[in-house]
Amino acid sequence: MSDDIVLKVEDLHKNYGNVTVLKGVSFEVRRGETKIICGPSGSGKSTLLRCLNLITRPDKGRIWLEREEITNRNININKVRQKIGFVFQEFNLFNHLTALRNVSVGLEVVKKMNKDEARKIALEMLKKVGLEEHAHKYPAELSGGQKQRVAIARALAMNPAIIFYDEPTSALDPQLIGEVLEVMKALAREKVTSIVVTHEMGFALSVGDEMLFMYDGKIIERGIPQEVIQNPRCEEARRFFQRINELYVGKRR
Amino acid sequence: MSFWESFISYLLQGWVATLEILAISIPLSILLGLSLAVARVYGNWLISLIAGGFVALLRGLPLVVTLLIVFFALPKLGIYFSPFWAAVIAFIMCSGAYQSEYVRGAIRSIDVGQSLAAQALGMTKIQEVIYIILPQAFRRALPGITNEIIYLILYSSLAYLVGVQELFSIAKHFNSLQFRPIEIFSTTALIYAFMATIATLFFRKLENKLKIPGLETI
Repeated sequence: MSDDIVLKVEDLHKNYGNVTVLKGVSFEVRRGETKIICGPSGSGKSTLLRCLNLITRPDKGRIWLEREEITNRNININKVRQKIGFVFQEFNLFNHLTALRNVSVGLEVVKKMNKDEARKIALEMLKKVGLEEHAHKYPAELSGGQKQRVAIARALAMNPAIIFYDEPTSALDPQLIGEVLEVMKALAREKVTSIVVTHEMGFALSVGDEMLFMYDGKIIERGIPQEVIQNPRCEEARRFFQRINELYVGKRR
Repeated sequence: MSFWESFISYLLQGWVATLEILAISIPLSILLGLSLAVARVYGNWLISLIAGGFVALLRGLPLVVTLLIVFFALPKLGIYFSPFWAAVIAFIMCSGAYQSEYVRGAIRSIDVGQSLAAQALGMTKIQEVIYIILPQAFRRALPGITNEIIYLILYSSLAYLVGVQELFSIAKHFNSLQFRPIEIFSTTALIYAFMATIATLFFRKLENKLKIPGLETI
């Protein structure tokens, strides 16, 4: 496996009781790449991300992060997760901490950095997402878009090898989606390696390097976003993108 | 010496003993409450079972019975405590057991996303509990804990049963000598009411100090 590959996934399976959610998923993410994953709800996208940072244990299959097999039972899960940033659909900011502390707490507690240094980095990260003026505010005092930008800063501060975004704009009001996507686009252009589960086709088209279309626990179509969105080969993908198209573009007509 | 002079000087001695009992049992009961709750929610099945059994037992016994067991029954097993420490231990166990239920409920009320985010940062379970879960749960449990502390202040008077010379026992004793129950017991009552009021004000202040927007008691 070359140095260029940050994440490699091989034949991932996951069952919940009788329900098989992942039925053999394989792909690779190169350094600097922005990988888009889309697909109808229930297709296994979120489960896939949770398996990738081992919040959920896959039943079968192997995952390598920077050449280290993380599905190996002897590995320190907490060390692995430090290298993976995770941005949740519901933000999940720590409610009792200010924006600044939300970003610095991981550096202080997990990376054992001293307070001053951690806060300096945290402030830099908040600046990067355009929120340094809101550093002292608590999550309840921020808008949804601001919360998600703090969450992105929190993930970035840990200097991860890769960032996972799990439908980062799905819980936002339409007028707040733009500010979050702008930050994500800027990061993608800076070649921050990421996997983005999203239905924002504009985002996928502008910065996505490859798009994976998931259906029923499998990746059934993959390619550069423009190809996948505009000329999907399989019927399921065609129907899916048609519906998205109607929803977003149809209204504008 | 007039009645009031000797009464007040005796009573003050008792009050000091009561304050000593409370100064030890209030912080330790809070610590026990937090520990029991964490053990029940996050412990493996054995630790959780032991903590749960302890809480069920202590909540199932009248405090008087707990106190008498600690003072009279444990010595038969070779465990001896002075009256003061027997009372303190019984109070800590009883109050801690009740408080743990408030904390446990508060921990359960914290959104699972908080835990997921902590894990995603690479925190260990212990770091997650200390830095993320407990600071939020404690704030939510605080009104309930305050309630238990006020109970504790009032039922510290039960220490008289094992012979601790605390506020109530002094009052009772003095009354048997002088038989002026109205003066003696109403003064004693005022002191308990005073302590309860101070505790209420203190914990209300603490609640305000710890208040965070969006984290108000639900």
